[in-house]
Amino acid sequence: MKKTKFYILGFSALMLCDTLTQISFKLASNHGGEFAMQLEWFISIFSQPWIYGAVLGYLGSFIAWMTLLKHAPVGPAFAASHLEVVLVLVVSAVYFGDRLAPMQIVGAFLIVLGIVCLSFSEADKENVEAH
Amino acid sequence: MSSIAILIWVINVTLDTVGHIALKFAAVADKEESTELARWKSMLGSFPLWIGIVCFCLEFVVWLAFLSVLSLSQGVLLGAINMVSIVIAGRLVFKENLDRMRLLGMALITLGVIFVGIYG
Repeated sequence: MKKTKFYILGFSALMLCDTLTQISFKLASNHGGEFAMQLEWFISIFSQPWIYGAVLGYLGSFIAWMTLLKHAPVGPAFAASHLEVVLVLVVSAVYFGDRLAPMQIVGAFLIVLGIVCLSFSEADKENVEAH
Repeated sequence: MSSIAILIWVINVTLDTVGHIALKFAAVADKEESTELARWKSMLGSFPLWIGIVCFCLEFVVWLAFLSVLSLSQGVLLGAINMVSIVIAGRLVFKENLDRMRLLGMALITLGVIFVGIYG
């Protein structure tokens, strides 16, 4: 398989698994209602399937991450492992009807920019270590 | 953000940071072993590794509690502060390097999280 194709597939798989995990978490927590330090809340959460979707998502992310790290540079891999935020935001707007205030959208933009900076820093670190 | 959301958020950040630092401790304390199996056996007997595993198991439940009091979009954005706390902890505990790009990334994420939290 060509390198580019491998990266695209690997990054997509990682982002999809991370997004699936977060959506499953949200659906599971919706089922249990607002958090209460009571046994009923825990039973309600763990007795429906979405919580296991989150576990599967975690497992998928782990496999995708370890496969990617074996071949991909750590900088872009780091970005892909955290930029699922963007996909989660899109899905939560479309599927859950979440709406962010204008200043929160600015905040989201800053966070994404910050993640990109951290990725560049990781890539630089790898380059320094390689030389 | 309600006070319960802030409390759960702080617990989540703490667990995530302690978990990552504990795993790093387990990884760097790893002795030279001849085989991969021996390496894993040695790691599984490591106390920090188990602290990390317990932290991540607790974090699983705490994250559920967090999303039960906030929307998913706000939750994932506020959760980004974990990256900042882990970098700071890595610096304090392992003296990891903090270059300009990393500092800039941390500052942007912190500012973004403040915006999301304050205007939520």
